[in-house]
Amino acid sequence: MRSFAYARPLTVMAAVQALADASPHARIIAGGTTLYDLMKLNIEAPQALVDVSRLGELTTFDTSGTRELVFGAMARMSDIAADRTLQTDYPALAESLWLAASPQVRNMATVGGNLLQRTRCAYFRGGAPYPCNKRQPGSGCAAIGGLDRSHAILGTSTSCVAVYPGDWAVALAAFDAQLDTVSPRGERTIPIDELHREPGETPHLETILKPDELIVRIRVPVTVAGRASTYHKIRDRASYAFALASAAVALRVDGDTVREARIALGGVATRPWRARDAERALMGGALTEGSARAAGELAFTAARTGQYNRFKVELGARTIAEALMIAKGRAKTS
Amino acid sequence: MTGPGPFPDVARVDARDKVRGMTPYGADNHPPNLAHAMLVTAQIGKGRLVKVDTDAARAVAGVQLVLTHQDTEGLKADGYLFANGRSFQSVQPMIGTAIAYRGQPIALVVADSLEAAIEGAEQVSAEYVTAPFSVTLDSEGTEILAQADLPLPKPAFADKNVGDADAALAAAPVTVDAVYDSAPQHQNPIELIATVASWDGDELTVYESTQHVEGIRQGLAFELGISPDKVRVISPFCGGSFGQKNAMHAQTVLVALAARTLGRPVKLVVPRSQLFHNTSFRPPTRHRVRLGADRAGKIVAAVHEIDQQTSRHDLFPSMATDTSARLHGIPNFRSRERLRRTDVQTPGFMRAPWEHAAAFAFESAIDELAYALDRDPVELRLANELPYDVVTGKPFSSRHLSECLRRGAELFGWARRRMAPRSMRETDGTLVGWGVATGAYPSVISPSIAQLRVTDDGGIVLNVGVQEMGQGARNAVAAAVADVLKVRADQVTTLLGDTKGPPPHLTAGSWGTATAVPAARQAAIDMREALRKLQPEASNGATPAGILRHAKRPFLEVEARHQAPGAPDAVFDRMKQGLLAYVGPEFPEFVSFSFIAHFVEVHVEPATCRVRVPRVVTVADCGRVVSPRTAASQLRGGVVWGIGGALREASEVDPRYGGFLNADLAEYLVPVNADIGDIQVDFVDKPDPMLNNAGVKGLGEVANVGPAAAVANAVYHATGRRVRHLPIRIEDLL
Amino acid sequence: MNRNELQEVVTPAQSILVSTRPGEQSAGAPGSSGLSIDIVVNRQRRQLDVDPRASLLDLVRDHLHLMGTKKGCDHGQCGACTVHLDGRRVVSCLMLALQADGREVTTIEGLAGPNGSLHVMQQAFIDHDALQCGYCTPGQIMSAVACVREGHANSVAGIREYMSGNLCRCGAYVGIVAAIQDAAPRMQGAEP
Repeated sequence: MRSFAYARPLTVMAAVQALADASPHARIIAGGTTLYDLMKLNIEAPQALVDVSRLGELTTFDTSGTRELVFGAMARMSDIAADRTLQTDYPALAESLWLAASPQVRNMATVGGNLLQRTRCAYFRGGAPYPCNKRQPGSGCAAIGGLDRSHAILGTSTSCVAVYPGDWAVALAAFDAQLDTVSPRGERTIPIDELHREPGETPHLETILKPDELIVRIRVPVTVAGRASTYHKIRDRASYAFALASAAVALRVDGDTVREARIALGGVATRPWRARDAERALMGGALTEGSARAAGELAFTAARTGQYNRFKVELGARTIAEALMIAKGRAKTS
Repeated sequence: MTGPGPFPDVARVDARDKVRGMTPYGADNHPPNLAHAMLVTAQIGKGRLVKVDTDAARAVAGVQLVLTHQDTEGLKADGYLFANGRSFQSVQPMIGTAIAYRGQPIALVVADSLEAAIEGAEQVSAEYVTAPFSVTLDSEGTEILAQADLPLPKPAFADKNVGDADAALAAAPVTVDAVYDSAPQHQNPIELIATVASWDGDELTVYESTQHVEGIRQGLAFELGISPDKVRVISPFCGGSFGQKNAMHAQTVLVALAARTLGRPVKLVVPRSQLFHNTSFRPPTRHRVRLGADRAGKIVAAVHEIDQQTSRHDLFPSMATDTSARLHGIPNFRSRERLRRTDVQTPGFMRAPWEHAAAFAFESAIDELAYALDRDPVELRLANELPYDVVTGKPFSSRHLSECLRRGAELFGWARRRMAPRSMRETDGTLVGWGVATGAYPSVISPSIAQLRVTDDGGIVLNVGVQEMGQGARNAVAAAVADVLKVRADQVTTLLGDTKGPPPHLTAGSWGTATAVPAARQAAIDMREALRKLQPEASNGATPAGILRHAKRPFLEVEARHQAPGAPDAVFDRMKQGLLAYVGPEFPEFVSFSFIAHFVEVHVEPATCRVRVPRVVTVADCGRVVSPRTAASQLRGGVVWGIGGALREASEVDPRYGGFLNADLAEYLVPVNADIGDIQVDFVDKPDPMLNNAGVKGLGEVANVGPAAAVANAVYHATGRRVRHLPIRIEDLL
Repeated sequence: MNRNELQEVVTPAQSILVSTRPGEQSAGAPGSSGLSIDIVVNRQRRQLDVDPRASLLDLVRDHLHLMGTKKGCDHGQCGACTVHLDGRRVVSCLMLALQADGREVTTIEGLAGPNGSLHVMQQAFIDHDALQCGYCTPGQIMSAVACVREGHANSVAGIREYMSGNLCRCGAYVGIVAAIQDAAPRMQGAEP
């Protein structure tokens, strides 16, 4: 690891200034659980760090609003996961947080930084000699034709099949969350669905954020579908493991009829993946084991599989189906 | 000999320091003026170094030294531990330019700070000439060798051929013929391998957690060309090892060399990702098991054929069928073991090195036979017990496998099991499976010297050749002394893991207790006799210190030696050279094994097929249990290993690149707390009447012989899917 | 209404602890190669120069010589380096030492009472033999204490889940769960 300049602004205003002053190769560091990890692997080598972890004004959150839930980007994952209102009214959001990483990491990682968690692709993290278009554009992709068990089957390209590893962004995608950002050029709002890019020919560009653009806030529109929601995470270990397949599902039902279905997928795609075809197929019909299964299958019609990750098509479909039935159960009891 | 005991339940004698973080492991030593080191490793699968460019590294602020192959003149490779060496493999990196495998060290950077050493290591670049390589059992270029034809000692490494297995198999009305595969694994103790080396004039002190301080001392002296008298190796504790730290690794001598060159102490903590390539690992194996039985359920024949990976440069032999031949009383048994040479570091020992995979294969096959016969798998095993060893015709020193099975079945509630697969469910549809498997592990004994000193101020100090690595060796030897001297175990101070003491043999292979406890016990008996001579009229309640004070003697010291039955005295000479000197499991008058039975319940979720293990019952026959509390923990730990081996662990190999891809603890999945349910353990606790004066056999390894098979058999019972490879993952059950 | 309790007092717009390039120090950051931080470790206030790259783990071990906090993976994957930061458990290997500036760190050495008396959790680990080699034990105990304080030790399932950030390769999980079950109710009275 090369040394770096370091600035720790204490207000958002100062952070924007620090970002304006910093070199173009500066990186924003918050909890550090992704960036510092990758610096230790010599995958990231920033010349400067702007530490935003002490922006106290961004650590608050409010889940009691009548129009939207508001999460300061520097709030810790563990604090939001422990929120009783969220656990009751939006179990998918709470579950996506406490099923992620470990208690220690959740005490460090911020909900803003977590959106930008980078892939766990071992060829990406392993450095040389593995070619990796994400790490070194144009060098190739070792995962294609390699050990791709954990890799993506949706949203892949001939340049990259790395899976987006996060959980929280997947749950947020199901609820059409919005992100507020600031940069030296001003503020803007980004729908979560537009934050992450598919790899295409440029897998090194993972989001639409500019290097000096700071996520300050995450907003989730209030919906009654929140209560009938779940984040269903299937992984090898019972805890402390990344998803092989996950589904964030939220429902609004009227009797047996589905009025609203929200499905987002993790562990199977190159970015948080909204399964809109599956959602549409469920609308207006009764949710049964059969229709849930059909919706699950529909979500993977475009899947492209490699040598070892074919099972994700079946596992993903079953995960969606099971998540739908869990959410339906919560609709009944709420 | 029936030995002492039963022994009282005593708290772990070193636990108080461990819960306070006060226990010193190798890397916890921090001598003044310490420099920090980092390794640079090869990025090619095989070939030759053309050039190592160290200029950029040397330019990093704080970097003091960069060692490459050009700085190792005069250094000698010590040699492979199975070839009269003390190293885990014959290749000593950075002697010469050959690259035998990906991840082999090519440079050592030393700096004033760890951060500078890391940056320096990142700045080293190298040019190579590459060569073709093969790294998996089935890769093109893999060389297949019949073990029986290799220059390995016979009969230890000969194929077994008892009776006429092929004829009996051909005639058997019920047969099983199946192939089972096991993945490579890494030991991954949580402690990283680390070396702290400092020189005082021409005397070298090394702090390094290891299972074998004498081996490192002798090996280092040989490599550096200095007298072993000038080397001291200190390892009072070991932060887990499981076979990984049983021999010398490449970094030790390099760190010593750097410390000598710089004239200041140097510490290297090897990063986890590098450990995957700089220590041994459990090689992948393939087993073909054929079983034949009559319709009444008598197993008449078994043929066990094994292919196991080894390195291009060393022969890591398979000893798996030593155990599989003894699991059950099968009168016709034939084995054939083959090695496959590949371009990896030499694979080696990992808890139940061969037996974990061999028992998975063999005990899965027994389960398949039980279903072919429609016989309860516990009952089938009970019906195939024999009181003697079919391989040698000798008696077992003790064999209580039937009791393990009966007691385990009772504790587990096995009688309520329904035979048919998919016949047991929870109300929510979760599939329930109950599986059983047995295990065995050779009893082996290495030479041991125990020095016991009592002082008139109440001190009782035992110095004995065994390494504490969490298994509870300190408890066991303290208990043995305490039992004889009628004191509490925590009154006995145990000095272990320092070459200043009597030379210790390598502690491994579950022989620690059967090696050190008899020596410690003998020393205590000798001490008791010596004290009796000092004051023959002393009352039963007299303490050693009281007797010494009465006799006006400040201290009394005795030394006792112990070796395996029938072992020549030459074993002590080999031990003093840091060489392997164990004997067993075949002794002149008997054959000795530990035995075990595991009962496992799995739950398989019907849709997503996640497998959970809510409860396990394990009963072990390890002879007399000297330290009940630590033994129970060790046994539970072995079961955790079995669950990990069955459902989680695999070192992933990409044949295009060599090395191991998932070289960290996020991608190499060892069980977490939430993976583990209730584990109930029990012991037969009957002293072995033949093996040694304390009646003890081994425990640490047998604990991991069979649990993976019991999990696999339970998965079959739950799902009807017979998965014949490890690990069993979701995709196998969807 | 759910407000994060940990909101910090915000000072007027300014940055602290700025360095422009390594080696070129800004004001308030003396020392030839490091930045100065002010940190309380085990109730003792320390002013230290740190290499900006150093982890909190390496700071605690190499500079403060508190060796109870262990390095097992250096990437937040094993939990052996768990310490408390302002009372919350974190993996010290994944945190820049710089980020601990102005904060309070408790390591295993700071858990026992001032007179050396063991913490309830330490004694419970001994009583239930919740350890073998002892290497992961300091991290397990720091995590276990936090697990109880967080309110996650009310069920076996909760303990197992919330102790899953600490790997134990010896496989002492059964003992660890038992120790926490035992210590949890007794911690209520014993802790301030």
